[in-house]
Amino acid sequence: MPKVEINGVSQVFWSQSGAVQALAETSLSIDEGEFVCIVGPSGCGKSTLLNLVAGLAKPDTGQVIANGKPVTGPGPDRVVMFQESGLFPWLNVLQNVMFGLKMAGVPEPERRERAEKLLHMVHLSRFTQAWVHELSGGMKQRVALARALAPNPDILLMDEPFAALDAQTRDMLHDELEDLWASTRKTVIFVTHNVREAVRLGTRVIVMTARPGQVKNIYDIDLPRPRHIEDIGLVKIAAIIRDDLRDEVLQATHEEGID
Amino acid sequence: MNTVAHQEPSAALTAISHARARKDRLDRWRIYAMRVAFFASLIGLWHTLVWLEIWDEMIFPSLPQVTETLWLGMSDQSLPAAIAISMQRLLIGYGLALCIGIPLGLLLGRVRWLNETVGMLAMGLQALPSICWLPLAVLWFGLGESAMIFVVVMGALMALTLATRDGVKNMPPLYMRAAHVLGASGWRLYVHVMLPATLPAVLTGAKLGWSFAWRSLMAAELLLVGVGLGSLLERGRELHDMSLVVAVMIVIMFVGLMTDRWLFSRLEQRFVHRRWGTAT
Repeated sequence: MPKVEINGVSQVFWSQSGAVQALAETSLSIDEGEFVCIVGPSGCGKSTLLNLVAGLAKPDTGQVIANGKPVTGPGPDRVVMFQESGLFPWLNVLQNVMFGLKMAGVPEPERRERAEKLLHMVHLSRFTQAWVHELSGGMKQRVALARALAPNPDILLMDEPFAALDAQTRDMLHDELEDLWASTRKTVIFVTHNVREAVRLGTRVIVMTARPGQVKNIYDIDLPRPRHIEDIGLVKIAAIIRDDLRDEVLQATHEEGID
Repeated sequence: MNTVAHQEPSAALTAISHARARKDRLDRWRIYAMRVAFFASLIGLWHTLVWLEIWDEMIFPSLPQVTETLWLGMSDQSLPAAIAISMQRLLIGYGLALCIGIPLGLLLGRVRWLNETVGMLAMGLQALPSICWLPLAVLWFGLGESAMIFVVVMGALMALTLATRDGVKNMPPLYMRAAHVLGASGWRLYVHVMLPATLPAVLTGAKLGWSFAWRSLMAAELLLVGVGLGSLLERGRELHDMSLVVAVMIVIMFVGLMTDRWLFSRLEQRFVHRRWGTAT
């Protein structure tokens, strides 16, 4: 049984200029322990797709099945990590990581212990008492990762989580995420517009079409791990996928020009 | 171990932080000196005006007169008693306004139809000076404490409600999405996310509400006989004792300044500036 099943979901948005089909009927099946990266031109509905899996939005048609149950709303089995950390400024680092556990009713000593362990894993043990504004962008995303992992979800949904970081920090976080995925075997759905990043991390890369988005091609990535973003094999595959994507990006910018 | 990562500072760093501390101390003294100089010249101006005898002492009391009145009021307990009774009314009314205004503001920010109806009413009432309620309040609650407290509540409530509502509306939607994903729902969204996220706005509203509460109370005490700072002002008017009037004005300003410095500024420093990293 697949871990996540996306069955013919589509979504329409209402904007000033009328209805916009963000996502055409899309189906996708993801197995347990997979690391699926979704790439596509801006506005192709890749984030929409992620929101539908997260339960933050409801599809107009079709349904998403996660862990064998239809998705009707957010759940502790599917946690999202956003492009901006979305950390709570009124809580310190440790309290941010403990938030999901608190909501789940985990008693204080246990949630502290688990949060401290996670912060150790993302190399932030010394910053447990810091306020959010005192952290750099990379540190914020590390805390956000620890916070997302705290409720121990089987499915981790990542919406361009490293897009706003510098290249060095991103490389480091790629390594950390890869280690983490290898040791926990969580199912990851990772949305990005960075093709190399997708090939660097994914077991599969899904290319989406321009709006209204749907699955255009699926690439299995069999490169050995640990990978490096500048590995020649990786760069070659990324070049092929980028060519595939280029037509869609052109079409997307073309449409925006007419609008 | 309660701040960001501690390491052994180097000699250069220590020197820099000492220099910085020295500069901060100097700046603080400069500010104190500036304040003292400012208020001293204000008193000097006052003295000069009295000395020039432009106005009669009956309508423009001198500093010694006012000081004497303050001293007398303190020693015969009439001033502390008036402050205590006014503060009691203020705290009851303001407390009620906090208990109603903050939850109401959170709801208005979240529930659209409520905002379109109750929110509009609150906007209208905001424009209405709360002392306008006094005639009705006297009819409803009688000539006494309850009427005055009602006027205080109406004075502070709208500012609090509307500030809280605007805080909710301006909250980054990402906080709510993150909270949803992490399993927060229902009342816990209000208590653990919306309330702390809007705290900066709520505190601004609380400050505004506090000053509105004062204004309303003074107006009510001036109009209704009894005990209190406002009633002391009224007595000063009746007896033509302008030094009493000025003394009470000074007391009211002093209480206002102290609440801001010792309560609101500290709350802001501790719960807003330090956490959000905003200016101090």
